[in-house]
Amino acid sequence: MKSTKTLRVMDTVITHVILVAVCFVFLFPCLWLILASFSKSGSIYSFDGFFPSEYSLDTFKMLFTDTDMYNYPRWFRNTLFIASMSCLIGTFLVILTAYTMSRFQFRGRKTIMKTTLVLGMFPSFMGMIAVYIIMTQFGLINKMWGLILIYSSGAPMGYLTQKGFFDTIPGSIDEAARIDGATNFQVFLKINLPISMPIIVYTALTSFVFPWSDFILPKLLLKEKDLYTVAVGLMSLGETEFARFAAGSVFIAVPIVILYFCLMRFLVDGMTAGAVKG
Amino acid sequence: MRKKGYRLLAGLLCIGLLSGCGGNAGGNDGKGSGGNSAGTDTQNAQTGDGAAADLSNIYTGELERNVTIRVLENDTAIEQGYFQELIDAFNEAYAEYGIVAVDANMDQYSNLADDGPYGYGPDVLYQANDVLMKYVDGKHIYPIPVQNLECYAQIPDRAWEAYRREIDGTTYYMAVPVNVQTSMLYYRKDLLPENWETEWDDNGNGIPDMVESWSAMYRFSKLRMEEKEGQYGYMRSMYDVYFSSSFLFSYGGYVFGNNNTDPSDLGFSAGDSWMGASVLLQQASLMNEGCIDDTITVNAYSKLADGTYFATMTTPDVYTLFLKELILAYQGQGMSEEEARALAEENLVMTKVPMLPASADLTEENPELIPLKTMGGVNGYGISAYTKAPNACLAFVEFATSYDMIMRRCELLGIAPARSDVASQRGGTSEMIYQSLEEGNVVLMPSITEVDQIWTPAQSFFSDLAKDAFREPGERKYDDPDKLKAGLTQVDTQIYDAIFTLSGN
Repeated sequence: MKSTKTLRVMDTVITHVILVAVCFVFLFPCLWLILASFSKSGSIYSFDGFFPSEYSLDTFKMLFTDTDMYNYPRWFRNTLFIASMSCLIGTFLVILTAYTMSRFQFRGRKTIMKTTLVLGMFPSFMGMIAVYIIMTQFGLINKMWGLILIYSSGAPMGYLTQKGFFDTIPGSIDEAARIDGATNFQVFLKINLPISMPIIVYTALTSFVFPWSDFILPKLLLKEKDLYTVAVGLMSLGETEFARFAAGSVFIAVPIVILYFCLMRFLVDGMTAGAVKG
Repeated sequence: MRKKGYRLLAGLLCIGLLSGCGGNAGGNDGKGSGGNSAGTDTQNAQTGDGAAADLSNIYTGELERNVTIRVLENDTAIEQGYFQELIDAFNEAYAEYGIVAVDANMDQYSNLADDGPYGYGPDVLYQANDVLMKYVDGKHIYPIPVQNLECYAQIPDRAWEAYRREIDGTTYYMAVPVNVQTSMLYYRKDLLPENWETEWDDNGNGIPDMVESWSAMYRFSKLRMEEKEGQYGYMRSMYDVYFSSSFLFSYGGYVFGNNNTDPSDLGFSAGDSWMGASVLLQQASLMNEGCIDDTITVNAYSKLADGTYFATMTTPDVYTLFLKELILAYQGQGMSEEEARALAEENLVMTKVPMLPASADLTEENPELIPLKTMGGVNGYGISAYTKAPNACLAFVEFATSYDMIMRRCELLGIAPARSDVASQRGGTSEMIYQSLEEGNVVLMPSITEVDQIWTPAQSFFSDLAKDAFREPGERKYDDPDKLKAGLTQVDTQIYDAIFTLSGN
């Protein structure tokens, strides 16, 4: 009895030690960057050991006021616009694709599914040169809509997760609705969509986060400094601009955190909806 | 019937799409045709019988009207407000022609070879000679009829050399030199010992010995290290080929033979260049491990400001960054901004690099001194071969390289001008650098594409050399001249292999 208790305590201790160690590996760089962004001197080389010796909000103030060379507010607006539009259009397309693949049987469906599965295995940057040339032909270089187009049109390729969700919704519900005279669109809009809130929220979040943090495509397609996104802008900072880099990197997380907190309710509501039967 | 309708619609959409592509391609042809014709013109200009005749195909002498030319400038010029002054003055001067110069609003290191062919590059670009001359092989920039420019006679031949290209016996100049970049010594006057005038000025010329000779700098660095732990004298990242190779050049080394034009003749190990490597090794022994990589390059601004380092070597264009850090450091000590600025401007000194002992032994008493031949570059204005307004671009280049504008550039940015009249008028550092260039103590970076292959092998060697100073005595790799020579010979071999292994030569 005693040895079982000892084993349980040891198990708890070891588990917690491992969890703390893993947390430390993930959290320490974030904590360091957050503290560094509040450094008063702004130089990494004036730190007292790992952390700044003095703290202030000056770096954040500079980030939004000293915009002659590095216009962070503009980069931020550009990123927000690209990510929001990509999120809206991308989510709409992914949900439609997934629903179609889940609910309708048509010729070539399996082939399309297999093809998208295989294509999804290739890294997205593989086609960068082709993308660049196509974008030059369509005059979409230095256009934010060019990026939105690529992000949105590429999004349905990752429809499999959403299709998996729609597959779990019994087809008998659709049949019942159709017997009552509902059209395909009504079945989708009034029956399936309300109970698919968790997957829609998940899709919206991922559709937003990828353009928000992407570097390769904006670097390739946006040549003008005024069109830079935050990721490209931060990479273009001079070698003595560490403080600005740290503050910019920390601030970039703000919209994601807000979005997460706003959407979390829908995520949980959706997951628990229908869990209790009356 | 319905199916037929769909097929018809699909067909129409395809036709629309293809014609759209055609339209765009055509649109691009407009740009591309400018580009193509530009390319052809360049080719003609480069292979034709006479440079003047061929260049007149490009530069007709008639200014294009109502055009906007996009100019790529460097970040410092934009940050310090010089570029705005330049384009404002130019736009005012050429208002009657409707020519407007604007900021290209692109990264200062953007590659014309990537953006130009698709019509997104700048019309005029300010970059270093090794970068601009890389565009020549791909015909991305136009040659310039420099003999017709007002600045031509004022710029020394050594600066023009950086932009000269001989093709079929005809000489072409691909850009106009503006600014000479080379190594300068930065130090803090207030960190000199109090008794420097009696103890550290052997020749009594009022200049501290440690900024005149590397031997005295070595002694002073040692003294500072002994005085206080964590305090250093001269500090520099050895890893950086641009600065470290200067020590090799001073003892007979070079990059490419035949005046930096023959890539088959590598010269990092030529002459007694191993002696330069030996000097670097001695210097590294008085630094910390930050000299192995880029650490010192990045932290020198703040470390010079907080007094950890006494001196460093870098290019003149970053003077304002050092000044900014020193002002902040003084403000941190409780001074007002004005006081801090005045004191920082007094104490931060940028001067020519010290001289080397001919023996390469930094501990030798009263050594014979030889000049340090520093690697340098010439930044200048080039004209894109994809521009639709070459005459307007040429007018801009002439305007930007005029006496007044170069003088203003010097005042605001502290650059070393390529123009002799501005250099002599300004005096000080500007004249010092100009003289170094004239005397051949600035070795210009090669302007051939093969220069891309020198950096990695040389960086690896310098990094390993710096590391040697921190190895245990029995484990050192470069503890005699033969090993240093072998190391440098290997650098030459690696560069040669990198250039020729896949070239089929």
